[in-house]
Amino acid sequence: MSAVAGTVEQMFNHPLRLLASFLPLLLGLLLVFLINMPVSFTGGLLPAPALALACVYFWVLVRPDLMPPAAVLLIGLAEDLLSGGPPGLWAAGFLAAHWLTDRERDSFAGLTGVGALVGFAAVVLSAALAAYGLETVVYLRLAPVAPLLLHGVSTVVFYPLVALPMGWLLHKVVGPMRGGD
Amino acid sequence: MAGLGWRWTRGRGAKNFALYLCVASAVTIAFLGKAEPPLFDYARSTLSDAAAPALSQIRAPLIAVERWAGNVTTMFSLFSENERLRQENTQLRQWQHVALSLQNKMHRYEVLLNAVPDATSQAVTARVIGEASRPFIKTMILNAGTAQQVKKGQAVVDDRGLLGRVYVVGANTSWVILLSDLNSRVPVLIEPAHRRAILMGDNTPAPKLELDVSDGPVKPGDRVVSTGDGGLLPPDLQIGTVMQDGSELRVALSARPESADFVQIKAFILPPPPSATEPAPAVTASAPEIPLVPQATIAEGISQRPAPPAMPLQSRSPDEPQFDGQNEELDR
Repeated sequence: MSAVAGTVEQMFNHPLRLLASFLPLLLGLLLVFLINMPVSFTGGLLPAPALALACVYFWVLVRPDLMPPAAVLLIGLAEDLLSGGPPGLWAAGFLAAHWLTDRERDSFAGLTGVGALVGFAAVVLSAALAAYGLETVVYLRLAPVAPLLLHGVSTVVFYPLVALPMGWLLHKVVGPMRGGD
Repeated sequence: MAGLGWRWTRGRGAKNFALYLCVASAVTIAFLGKAEPPLFDYARSTLSDAAAPALSQIRAPLIAVERWAGNVTTMFSLFSENERLRQENTQLRQWQHVALSLQNKMHRYEVLLNAVPDATSQAVTARVIGEASRPFIKTMILNAGTAQQVKKGQAVVDDRGLLGRVYVVGANTSWVILLSDLNSRVPVLIEPAHRRAILMGDNTPAPKLELDVSDGPVKPGDRVVSTGDGGLLPPDLQIGTVMQDGSELRVALSARPESADFVQIKAFILPPPPSATEPAPAVTASAPEIPLVPQATIAEGISQRPAPPAMPLQSRSPDEPQFDGQNEELDR
C-alpha cells in the first residue's frame, strides 16, 4: 500500500510527468475527434483514415507503458461512439492491433521507410480483421469488404502524417517531461 | 501454478490479463450495443452534445482550408465549368416555366376534385458539424436536437435531395444515418413506371434497388423518389436516378453528403382525414386574392409549410418564382 501511495504522491508532485503519462491517450482521443470533422482533404477520394490507430501503433511501439490496453479500449470506444458506428467493434480492432504490435515490437521497431509502412499495414489488417469478425458474429451479416480495405489503405497512407509529429512529441515533450526516462 | 506465479512477477501475466479483460469488455460492449441500442444512443448523443461547441469551432478553419484546396483544383477547369453552367441554367429556366405551369394546372385540378391536401411538412435547418464515412457506418452529426423539435426517423435533405434520416437525437445534436449506410432501408418509388422498391444501403456510394413483384419497366435514368409509406418520410423527395451495375439496379444518389454544409430536417405530419360533411370550396372567378403559398411562419428556426389553399389561382403570374415556403433563406 505504501508503495502505491508513494507512486501516487510522486505523480502529483510532478504534474508534468503525470501529463506526459496521459499525453498519448489524449492525443489518441484528439485524433478521433479531428477525424470525425465533416472535412475531406482528399476531395472524397479516400475515406477518413483511422488516425487514432496510427497513434496507438506508434506509442505501443516506442512507449508501451504510456499506451496500456485500457487506454486503447478508451480510444477505440471513443472512435465507435463519435463515428456513430456499432459500439465495441473498433475498440476490439484497436486492441488486436495493440496485441500484435506488442507481441512483434522488436520486428516492427527495426523497420524503416517503406518497411515501416508495410509493418503498420499488417497491424491495420489485424485491426480490420478483428473488427470485421466481431461485426459478422454480432450482427450475423457479411459487410462489404471493399470499404474496409479502402479505409485500411487510407489509414496506411496517412500514417507518416501522424508518426512524424508523434516522434517529435516523444523526443521534445514526453521525454523531457518524464525526466528523460 | 508456479509458472503462472513467475509470469505474474515478471509483469507479463498482469499485462496480458489487462489486455484480455479489455478485449472481453469490447466484445461485451459489442453484444450489448446490439441488445440494448438505446443505452449507447444515449451515450452517443451525450457525447455529441458535449462535443458540439468544439466541433463547431474547429470546423471553421478546417472548412476554410478544404475550400482553398478545392478552389486550387477547380481553377484549372473554370472556363469549361462556366460554359457548362450557362447551358444548364438555360435548360433549367425552360424547365422552371414548365414546372410553374404544371403546378398551376395541378392546383386547379385539386380544387375541382376537392382533393385531400398534401401532408404538411415542417423543416428545421441545421448545420453539419460531424461526419463519419467508415467501413461499418455512414453518418453525420447535425447541430439540432430535441431543443429544436427534431425527432427520430425524420428525413434529412440537402439542396439536391434526400441524404438519410435521423436515428439518434440528443438535446442539441442529432445523428443521421445516410442512404448509403449498411443499415439503411428506405421505401422508394421509381418514376415514370410508378414501381415501388426498397433502397438498400451497402456502404457503397450507390445503394442497391430491391424491386417489388409488380410489373413495370425500370431502366437506367429513371427518377427515384421517396414514397411516404409508413408516414415517416415525406413523399416525392428527390433521391436519385436508376443506374445499371452488372445485373443489379442501383441508384446514383442526388444528395452529396461530403459537400453538405447546411441541411434540412423534415418532419412529416399526416393530414387529418377529410370530413364527409365538409362542403367543397366554391371555385369562382371573383374569389379574393390570396397568395398561392402564404408567408411561412418561422419560429425558433422552424419554418412551417401550410397546406395549399383551396382556391383558384388566376391571380398568380406564371412567371413569378414561387418559394416552397419551407425555408425562404435556402430557397433564395
